[in-house]
Parts: sequence; structure tokens; C-alpha cells
Amino acid sequence: MSEKLINKVKVKNSMGLHTRPATAIVKLLQNSKSNVYFTHKKDTINAKSILSILMLAAGKNSSITITVDGEDASTTMANLVSAFENKFDEN
Amino acid sequence: MKSNSETILKGIPICRGIAIGKPYVVSLSDFHIPDFLIPEERIEEEIARYQLALQKARNDISDLLKQAAKEDIAESVSLLDSQLHMMQDPLLTVEVENEIRKSQKNAEAAFHLIIANSQKKFESLDEFFKERFRELKDISHRVLGHLRSSARTSLATLPADSIIFSRELSSSETAEANIASVNALVTEFGGLTSHAAILARARGTPYVSNISFAHIDPTKHQLVIVDGRTGEVILNPSPKTLEKYEKKYHQLQTHLKNLAQVSRLKAETYDGYAVGLSANIEIASEVDTLHSHGGHNVGLFRSEYIFLDKEKLPNEEEQFKIYRELVEKMKGHSIVIRTFDVGGDKRFPNQPVSNEVNPFLGCRAIRFLLKEREIFLEQLCAILRASKYGDVSVMFPMISTLSELIEAKQVLAEAKKSLAKRGEKIGTVRIGCMIEVPSAAIIADLLAKECDFLSIGTNDLVQYALAVDRGNHALSSLYTPTHPSVIRLIRSVVHEANHHGIPVSVCGEVAADPRFTPLLLGLGVHELSVATRYIPIVKHAIRQTSIVAASRLAEVALSLSTALEIQTLLDTEYKKTVPDDCFYNC
Repeated sequence: MSEKLINKVKVKNSMGLHTRPATAIVKLLQNSKSNVYFTHKKDTINAKSILSILMLAAGKNSSITITVDGEDASTTMANLVSAFENKFDEN
Repeated sequence: MKSNSETILKGIPICRGIAIGKPYVVSLSDFHIPDFLIPEERIEEEIARYQLALQKARNDISDLLKQAAKEDIAESVSLLDSQLHMMQDPLLTVEVENEIRKSQKNAEAAFHLIIANSQKKFESLDEFFKERFRELKDISHRVLGHLRSSARTSLATLPADSIIFSRELSSSETAEANIASVNALVTEFGGLTSHAAILARARGTPYVSNISFAHIDPTKHQLVIVDGRTGEVILNPSPKTLEKYEKKYHQLQTHLKNLAQVSRLKAETYDGYAVGLSANIEIASEVDTLHSHGGHNVGLFRSEYIFLDKEKLPNEEEQFKIYRELVEKMKGHSIVIRTFDVGGDKRFPNQPVSNEVNPFLGCRAIRFLLKEREIFLEQLCAILRASKYGDVSVMFPMISTLSELIEAKQVLAEAKKSLAKRGEKIGTVRIGCMIEVPSAAIIADLLAKECDFLSIGTNDLVQYALAVDRGNHALSSLYTPTHPSVIRLIRSVVHEANHHGIPVSVCGEVAADPRFTPLLLGLGVHELSVATRYIPIVKHAIRQTSIVAASRLAEVALSLSTALEIQTLLDTEYKKTVPDDCFYNC
């Protein structure tokens, strides 16, 4: 069942991945059964950790490589991509 | 600076009231981190100790989150929510536990090491992200506080009549400060929506912020006066100043004592005009304190609070039990249950993250309920079933057009039909419509024909009428409930309701502010619904006014053209009618 998906997204909201979007991401992944990683520049981190996301210091327009590995990889990836796409309800 | 002369410092008033006491300086900088090795057989015990401290810190935050949600401070809610999630972060759970195992060090040392490592990383980031470390620092103080019982009790064992001076106060420190020995709070940082401020207001502790005491040493002063109305902090007051404030302080205490007595009296003006004074509540247990505050009825039960801290929405049966218990607690007194007010900043359990650019103008409250029919129907069935145990009304939030009210009534009829089929008995339920959107206020005559009562929610009405986000600090000077447009909207709604012979109440912060009481009565409002603890103060304001004077005041207010003029009028009048209330009068 397990599958591994990789996707590249852009941070579109003006303040980048700050506290609120980081919280939104972690909430979104709360019930996901997959392992999720973000890669930004040379750092790869566990996307279920708010603090790690913050420490990526990903500002506006930075690009993030999302890796999802697990049984619900495709829904998890779809949710993440749309959250990035919708700027986490910010501007 | 000479320590024997009177020094007046001016800060920002956060919580009203007057206090006289001795300074007590709290400093966080000398936080000592114990560092020692743990014998191998006690490692798991040490980990358990860490987990307990983290759990306690989590409980602190979740209590504060509830408090902030109750006070409707969106910014605080979102910040606390982030902190809550940070405390479940693998960095603070698994990593710290691993560190304790690996280094065989005590929990404080292991935790501190992890935090210090993160701090280094954060400090290497650019300015904006560097700032995000502050949240983690706040969490770390709290967790360390719980790990060290000595630190935890530091504020719990203060000398009597203490006035706390601190650069800033974390929520857990404020929560722990022994209420009986703390007369006031003074800080350098922390605004109106800081957690310390929320708690201080809930407890009625005078609080002044933005006081810089870098160049003064408060401990060198014997006596301090804090005036939470003006934001003045007076060190070493002269005998004359002290006498003045002692007089004010006693006046205030007498006033509070009188208020307690007033709470048993009727809510009527001195010329005998009876006013309905009911309570806004969020949880059933609040009904217990209602009576001691001199209230009977509930004018607004915010039903969404039954699930805000839950993973999932209670089903019809579970909701029925909650409503029934609540209705039975009322012992025959009336209660208005407002259907779920979700959307905006309150999210529904298990609902996808909304993609709305502007949630406060989005799918909120009745708009959400009419889209999610099943949820709405279930809630209405549960309310109707509970109605046979008492005097229940149902109220729809955020109606902006007539069709919404009509559609909501259709769903209610549907609920009645389905209950009849199931053989369930129900009571008579009155139907109310919230007026909190300007469009609803303007068509109040049309809405009044379709329901049994109206209730004006001023918090949202002000925000929507003036197009000012009430959570936006940069605009706080524009958020003015005394704006002529708001007063005119209230007048017009009241006029239409009275014309159609249905009651109209006002809930929201304006109803709880005694300076507004005569104006609202003068505009023709018959009922006010306020948070329980404001019942005595509003009742007193009602009893000190006459309906004749109130009507005249309303006329004058309607003739004025700016929010400031109307606010000044209300302040001046209040000073005249309730001179003893040094909370509002300066």
C-alpha cells in the first residue's frame, strides 16, 4: 500500500512559513499516517514539527520539496499542496 | 533618582482599579538550571517527571486558550494554539526524552540543552524568523517552572499587599500568583491582549503595562500606588497623594460592597421601569454562580462552546443531554440557546481548513448551518427535545437577509416534524434573530415580523458597521461603539421591535459597560444580557437612573455627530449618576 511521493511547491504567502502556517501544516498532518519531510536549500526536516518548520526560515517565494511516504501519501500530499496553494488563508 | 521623593511613571492602563502596596520585583534572568547526573535505574522516572511537567504546561496553555476564546481575542487564541502544538513537537517530546537517556542528565539540564541548541539555530536565521524563538522561550520558562517546584511556588508565597513588578509576566506566573496577596501588576512589556492581561481582567487585579523601570529600583521604595484607570504608577507617594488615593480606594471598596447588596434587588430604574437583566454563558456550570450575582435568566448561551475543545461534534443524543442538563439547572427560568456560531475564528471539528480569504465575511454561523443542514437539524432536534424541561428559546446568529431567517425556520419546522414522527414531546420554543450585521439592522422591521424576539450583538455590529476588524490593534482607535452610526442602528432596531410588539435585547460588551446603560434604556431597550460578573454593576447603573433622564440622554446622544462627543457625554453622565464607581470614573 505504501507509496512515496515527491512534489515541489512554492511559499506564496507574504510572511513565509512563520508560526501560523507552521501550526496549520502540523494540524493538517496530525492524522496523517505517512512520514512527511520538507527540504529547503540543504535542510530536510520532519514536517510534523512546528519548530523544525520555523527553523527552515522559508520566506516568501522560497521553494520547498515535499516528500510523503506512507499509506495515505496521496491524500496527504494533495492536502499539503492545496494549503500551500491557498497561502494558508493568508495573503 | 532620589528614592524619597514622589515619582510618577506613566504607562498603559490594562486593567482598571486602584491598588496601594509594597513593590515585589520578579526577575526571570537569574533562572538557575540545575545540572546533575541521574543513576541509570532512575532514568525512566526522570523521563516521567519531564512528561508530567510538559503535561502541566500544556494544561496551563489550554486553560488560557479557553479563557481567550471566551473573551473572543482571536490573536491570542491563534498564538496559544500554536504554543499548544509546539509542546507536542517531537523536538520537545521525543528529543528531550532521548537526551535524558543519552546524557543521563536531569530533565532540566537535558531540556535546557535542547532549547539552547534551538536558540542557536534560531539566532542564525534572518530577523523575522529569529523572533519566532520568543514563543519557544515562553514555553521553556513554563516547563522549567513546572520542573522546579521552588520556581513554581515563588509567586504563590508573596508577602501580603504586594505589587508585582516584572519585565513581563508569563501566563503561568500570573495564574500562579496568589490572588489574595497581589494588589496589582506592573510590567514593562505586555499589551491589552497578553495572557497576563486576560487573567488580570478576569480577576479584577489592577494592571499597568509599558512602565520602564530600567533606571529605577522599585525595591528601594516603600510604597507604590497603581492607578489602573489612568495608567499611573506612583512610587513613594507624598502624604497628600497617599491620602487622596486611600480615600479613593475606600470609596471603591464601599462601592463594591454596595454592589454586592444591590445584586439582590430588582433591576429597575428609580422611577420603577423594570429592565430584563440576563446572563451570557458558555458552560452549564456558570448557571450556579448566576444566582449569587443576582441574575436568573440566560439571554445568550453560546452553544458552540460545547465542542470547541473537542475532537468531534457531539451527536444529537449527546447534545440533548448537555442542553437538558443546562435547562434543568435553570429551574424554570428562561434560557436562549444560540445555534452554533462557527466560522470566522472558530473552526468546526473535523471540518476541512477553509480557504476563505476573509473568513469574517465568509461562511459563518447561519450561513454555515444552512449549508450543513444535517448538523443544523441535529442541533435543533436536540434543543427542541430539551425544551420540554424548561423555558427555552432558540436564536439564529448572523442573519443578514430575510430569506436566511425563513429558511432557518423551515429547518426548525422540519426538526419538529421529525421529532413528532419519532413520538418525542417538545415544549414551546420562541424564535429569536441576532442583529449583528448592518443589513439585518436596516431590515429589522421585516425580520421582526418573522420571529418572537431580536437580540443586538454589538461586538460584531460595530465591527461590520465601521468596517473595522476588532482584533486589529492598528485600528483600535476606530473601533468605537459610540459611533453615531451604531447608535442610530440600535435606535432603529429597537424602534421596529417595539413597533411590532416583540422584545429586543442587547448582548455584547456594550451591554456590560455601565456607562452605556442609561443610553440603551433611553433608546428603548428592555433587556440587557451580560457576562455574569457584570450583572451587579449594570444593575446598579440601572437603579441609579430614571427612564425619563435616560430618554433625554438618548436624545442628546442622537444629536451629537462624533463618537468622541458621545463617549464624553456618557462618561460625564456616569460620573454624575454613579460617582462612587472609581472603576470607570477617573
